Amino acid sequence: MDLMKSIKISAAGMRAQGERLKVISENIANADSLSPIEGGDPYRRKIVTFQNVLDRTLGADLVKVKGIELDKSEFEKKYNPGHPSADEDGYVKQPNVNALMEMMDMREAQRSYEANLRIIGVSKSMLNRTIDLLR
Amino acid sequence: MILKSLPLFGLMGRRMAWLTQRQMVLAQNIANADTPSYKPKDLTKASFKEMLAPRRSAAPMVQTSVGHMQPIRRPDQFRADKAPGDYAAGLSGNSVIIEEELMKVQESHGAHRLVANLYGKHVSMLKAAIGRDR
Repeated sequence: MDLMKSIKISAAGMRAQGERLKVISENIANADSLSPIEGGDPYRRKIVTFQNVLDRTLGADLVKVKGIELDKSEFEKKYNPGHPSADEDGYVKQPNVNALMEMMDMREAQRSYEANLRIIGVSKSMLNRTIDLLR
Repeated sequence: MILKSLPLFGLMGRRMAWLTQRQMVLAQNIANADTPSYKPKDLTKASFKEMLAPRRSAAPMVQTSVGHMQPIRRPDQFRADKAPGDYAAGLSGNSVIIEEELMKVQESHGAHRLVANLYGKHVSMLKAAIGRDR
């Protein structure tokens, strides 16, 4: 049944957005994780990428998480000679996580998740309406 | 009597099939709202002229072996094309506007309800003609 298919498509979209939210929370939680060794690299921000995959049984484009990649941008350096992970010049590398960017990403994920949820609701009500014809 | 052989019921069945498939295409668009370089799709509008025209007898290819590939679009399905008005492409090349898609979803929801109500009404008219006590 085609309406069940649209529910499945939306469920796949919700799963992908959930995965994205997981990565975002990982980034925010590690916004202050510094390197354990002297002068080493701190936590590197992760980015989730999506791709659409043709599901042959459904005959539709589902969305899947393509992979979780690392943000290759530069680390900011902060002068703090007393810190255990400072290099010989006294600089500590900070994680390249920007809280504002993560918040925006989070909002976007939430919005997409809600839209998918709405589609499931509408599809369900259409399906119920069709079944009610039996009465 | 087969209900589907009545032109009105046949038409309603086709309309419902169209709306159901459109719902699927719109769900696809929403699910891919954050996929890079995804272009939203939509079904070609069902026209009155096309509904009146005699339907082409589409002969599907027969699968004689399990190894045969199935066509992606069955002959009874409608055609999904790239939606017109592709103007909101951002940096990622994705041009899905969630609000617009949700509007379309609500629109097909309303149309579906209309067809379902019409169907129920006509069935009750037929029942009245049969003369069953209600």
